[in-house]
Amino acid sequence: MSQAPVFAVVGHPNKGKSSIVATLSQNDAIAIALEPGTTRRSHAYPLQVDGQVLYTLVDTPGFQRPRRVLEWLEAHSVSASDRAATVAAFVTQHRGNPQFSDECELLAPLIEGAGIIYVVDGSVPYSPQHEAEMTILRWTGRPSLALINSIGDEDYGDTWQAALGQFFQVVRKFDAVRAPFEQHLSLLKAFGQLEPAWENPLETATGFLDRQRQQRRQHAATLIAQTLQQMMGYRHSRSLAEDLAASASSQNKDALASELRKNWYQHQRQREQQLRGDIQQLYQHGQLQRQEAELEWQSEHDLFSEDSRQLWGVNKGYLAGAGFGAGAIGGIGIDALTLGASFGTGALIGGIIGAAGSYFYGDRLPLPTLKIGPLRDGVKTASFGPVPDTQFGYVVLGRALNHWWHVSHRNHAGRAPLALGTTDSHWLEGLSKPDRNILHRALEKARKGKAADSSDQHKLGQVIIHAMKAYNDWELKSI
Amino acid sequence: MVKQSAAKPSMTKTSITKQPLRLLMDFDAQIQRDGQQASDFMHRRDRRFALNCEEHNSPSDPAHWLAWLGRFDNSREQFASAGQSTEQRWQRINNGFIALGAVLGIITMAGLLFYDGGQRINVTVIIGFVALQLLLALLTSLQSVMGWQPWRPLLNRFMPAPRPALQPLQPALMARAAQGGGLSFAVTALLTLLAMVVIQDLAFGWSTTLNTAASGYHQLTSALATPWAWLWPAAVPDLALVEATRFFRAGTNTLLTPARWGQWWPFISMLWLVWVVLPRLLLRLLASALVHWRARKLLLRHPGLNALRERMATPVLDTGAGHNDANDLPDTRHNTLLQPLPEKALLLSWAGAGTVTDKQTLPAALAAICPGPALNVGGLASLSQDQQAIAQLSVNSDAVTALMLVSSWEPPTGELLDFLTSARQSWPAGSRVYLLPLAAETREPPTTATDRQLQPWLRFAERCPPGFVTVGDIAISTGLSPS
Repeated sequence: MSQAPVFAVVGHPNKGKSSIVATLSQNDAIAIALEPGTTRRSHAYPLQVDGQVLYTLVDTPGFQRPRRVLEWLEAHSVSASDRAATVAAFVTQHRGNPQFSDECELLAPLIEGAGIIYVVDGSVPYSPQHEAEMTILRWTGRPSLALINSIGDEDYGDTWQAALGQFFQVVRKFDAVRAPFEQHLSLLKAFGQLEPAWENPLETATGFLDRQRQQRRQHAATLIAQTLQQMMGYRHSRSLAEDLAASASSQNKDALASELRKNWYQHQRQREQQLRGDIQQLYQHGQLQRQEAELEWQSEHDLFSEDSRQLWGVNKGYLAGAGFGAGAIGGIGIDALTLGASFGTGALIGGIIGAAGSYFYGDRLPLPTLKIGPLRDGVKTASFGPVPDTQFGYVVLGRALNHWWHVSHRNHAGRAPLALGTTDSHWLEGLSKPDRNILHRALEKARKGKAADSSDQHKLGQVIIHAMKAYNDWELKSI
Repeated sequence: MVKQSAAKPSMTKTSITKQPLRLLMDFDAQIQRDGQQASDFMHRRDRRFALNCEEHNSPSDPAHWLAWLGRFDNSREQFASAGQSTEQRWQRINNGFIALGAVLGIITMAGLLFYDGGQRINVTVIIGFVALQLLLALLTSLQSVMGWQPWRPLLNRFMPAPRPALQPLQPALMARAAQGGGLSFAVTALLTLLAMVVIQDLAFGWSTTLNTAASGYHQLTSALATPWAWLWPAAVPDLALVEATRFFRAGTNTLLTPARWGQWWPFISMLWLVWVVLPRLLLRLLASALVHWRARKLLLRHPGLNALRERMATPVLDTGAGHNDANDLPDTRHNTLLQPLPEKALLLSWAGAGTVTDKQTLPAALAAICPGPALNVGGLASLSQDQQAIAQLSVNSDAVTALMLVSSWEPPTGELLDFLTSARQSWPAGSRVYLLPLAAETREPPTTATDRQLQPWLRFAERCPPGFVTVGDIAISTGLSPS
């Protein structure tokens, strides 16, 4: 098999070369700073599938002395045919020379056969002053593509596009921080267009990346489903010695309840944080700094407060509707047992009970209560939880989807902390009625401490995938 | 096709587990252990296994997977795996039931056949006991199929709570143990019966409070004896025997001699063998099969197996995210401040700054400071033109004060440093260069670039020879407050 293509990302200092590489290699641990010379050595980022390299991106330092290099090249070249060899000779001649270390670093991959990805900043005015470095790149004779990245808010992309078209085979616009995933794939495919032999590996690679993204979504849904079930059914227990249990005055009970409640909250927060970490790890955002309201009872935007419930929870009408559906399915069981003799009254009764229960609880988010179990082997067990209301599940789910959406849509060039705010609209509207019923039943089942079998888990996972889509549509619509 | 060559997995050290229960428990234990592992590692590990299986055409089932994972583990002979200890625990329970069944079987049969010579052993009682045994055996199997566990609280007191993966198997395992105990009970009871027949002179008769004729009783015994009637006709009581061995609560049956009282034993033995021992044996085998079948089903439905298959089928994609130099950032601190511009200075334009675009016009305030034309250096100018400009500015022996316009968005490069170093060497002592980074857009009042764009220039000035380069602030020099 022919050698996998290599693409050297080159350009003037501080134009976002490392940002491009960080986004395309999904690496948020590449040093990026608004300081020229942050990248001092070139570094290769191969994309490997089962250990086989499909292509390699090389991040390089920027040009420091292009006019001096060009003068050297012109002084040592006789005709156009020896230009590539002259560039190679320049690197050989100046390797180890601190004055040209950046140029040697960036030209070395090119003389070894890499394609050129020339990066400019489309948010600053075009200037013909970079002609020297573009001429050097042309001398290498390598296939080339110019990439207009945008670091700032201004847009001079069209001027750049017209100017770069004279020097490069292909000119593309690509915002390393904001470009959606589909554009990443499209750009990689464009890399493959530079040379016929590169088309196949880049097509294969983009296929793998696309599948990886779908699998990540599925995996994220499983993680969210598991967390949801665990948090809904979590009970914090403590064993009490007989004498303590017997002497438990109401004051002692209050203290006990307070201690158990504290531990229960702490566990729920930790579990939610664990999910956040798992999702970020899944999307290779190991360095991500997150700004999210810490979970505190009765403070703004927290998991348990009224605000959170109103923002992420569901309204009474929705809950009553979902409750009706879930209750009705339970009621159908009654019909089945009576061999249909009840003529569907089972479903009706079940529906009404379900809706009434949901409506009643839908108005508030009650706290779990302290329960002290019967004496057994000289020990009593005090327990706190599980949460008595499915609203809790909708709050956790809404927050989890919000985090997932931002993480999955975040490019690895982004270095700003991820701020997770709240919203005033509701995404659940996009979820179908059967999905709502499955979701509601799963939350109810988890709340009652019933273990979910693999079929339940699978169904919930599917609903969460649908919820992700609904959330995505809702987010895109609100943008 | 993306493939990876790797060494053939060595399976010689570890035998492939065949028992579904052990396999399920070992698999579940491994999945629990994997819960602590990074998902990336697990994906690489399992994909590697799948590629090896593909390469060597070997099966990639959970048993082989476990053997592959345990191929470097030498401790298996010393320490029992989760599956082995589960099996051993249930083996102990099974043995306990068998022992208990054996003892109870002897005692029960001895009790049933208790004969002190004063009365006969009632065959009806034995038939009733056989029916009870049969009923219990069927109920045991039924409750295991239904998943009902009435003995669960009792078991909880003596055994640690089973792992979730084992919980659905508990009824089947318990039924298997119970049927084993029942079988042992039945067999020892039969042996006791035969032993007692040999060593004692037993007198059987039949009696019932109900108003039943001997012919009716004969029909019952014949029906019960149907399975073995063709095999051992002597074990099917005839009507004469039935009539001869009936006894009443009052009075005696005088139709026959007591010699016939012992002729019931073949029927009793076959009754016990066919209606107690054989059902127990069959149900014990069925319980074993149910355990195997359920264990296999649980394994196939194990959530860990789906995840494992997915990991095995999905190629490992490494996007090059391993490299980490996030903390290797340049030092961005500086102690330099913007300085007011001089009153008079010579004007240089670096790489077309201040002259390039229509939008970017030279601030009017500069006209007073630099009345002369700007010399273009850097950018499109050649290196010799740069040298000419340096020479041109130092024609007098006076110290040179130059104002160099630069584009704030194009960061300082080595070429600018070279130019300034060269100028410092050529110009008289006390010469000074003021860098003026201009913003891309014209602003009113004219200011220098934004703070973010100025930072690299301030640091660049610090790296230049001390006292030679400063960064000028047009806002200060014109008396305007900085924006």
